[in-house]
Amino acid sequence: MTLKQYQRIKLALTFVLAFVFSQAIVLKSFIPPIILLLASLLLLIMLRRRVTEIIADERDYLTGGKSALLAIQIYSWIAVIGMFILYAFRDRNPAYEPIAVTLAFSTCLLMLLYGVIFRYYNKISLTDKKLVYIVFVLILFLVLAIASIRLFSGEDDWICQNGEWVGRGRPDFPAPTVPCE
Amino acid sequence: MGWTRTPRLSRANRALRINTMTNKIKELRAKHNLTQEELANRVGVRRETIVFLEQGKYNPSLKLAYDIARALEVKIDDLFIFD
Repeated sequence: MTLKQYQRIKLALTFVLAFVFSQAIVLKSFIPPIILLLASLLLLIMLRRRVTEIIADERDYLTGGKSALLAIQIYSWIAVIGMFILYAFRDRNPAYEPIAVTLAFSTCLLMLLYGVIFRYYNKISLTDKKLVYIVFVLILFLVLAIASIRLFSGEDDWICQNGEWVGRGRPDFPAPTVPCE
Repeated sequence: MGWTRTPRLSRANRALRINTMTNKIKELRAKHNLTQEELANRVGVRRETIVFLEQGKYNPSLKLAYDIARALEVKIDDLFIFD
């Protein structure tokens, strides 16, 4: 198989996946796209082995590294600005706050992941402490995930009941100003 | 009045005051009757990488430099020249 054929199949699969995912969101059926995604990944791994040409070389990895770093920086800036704007207007629509928090968390997670992976390839992979580092990082992520779920699980919130905002738990912010319908 | 434009160094090169590097890949490749594709296959890179190397737009890793030198049957010193 040539590289061009492989790339065409990959592009076609991307279009099919995008279509299936969009339909899955509309129909609220999420099992078929996950199955299709896994099947596509397996198919691409199999096809990749059949390609006789060189798919990527050192220049691609160099370019990939630079592109990934720039993409992270651009995403982070957009997410941070978007987060502040949404958070500033959270009184107008309560839905803005979870979006702002999600943006902030995704940016932090992205930067944390980048830092961890960068450190691994820059230093740790060249030493004998690889396993210790991986275990430490896994434990750290597990602790952070549990703490995040506990702190931001939405237990303390305002809920709309019979046309009135009722405090659930002990929310430390005022009730939304928008009418409760 | 004519003037020649000096090659623009990248920001990293300017900061580190690294000299530009030229090479004789194209010349030696022709001597060995090799196409860019053939040389690329021999050293395990894509053809585009050879194109950019010949144009002096990409500095190879030490391994790639060594592989190209070996494929063209010369020493690295004879293949790459620092200006």
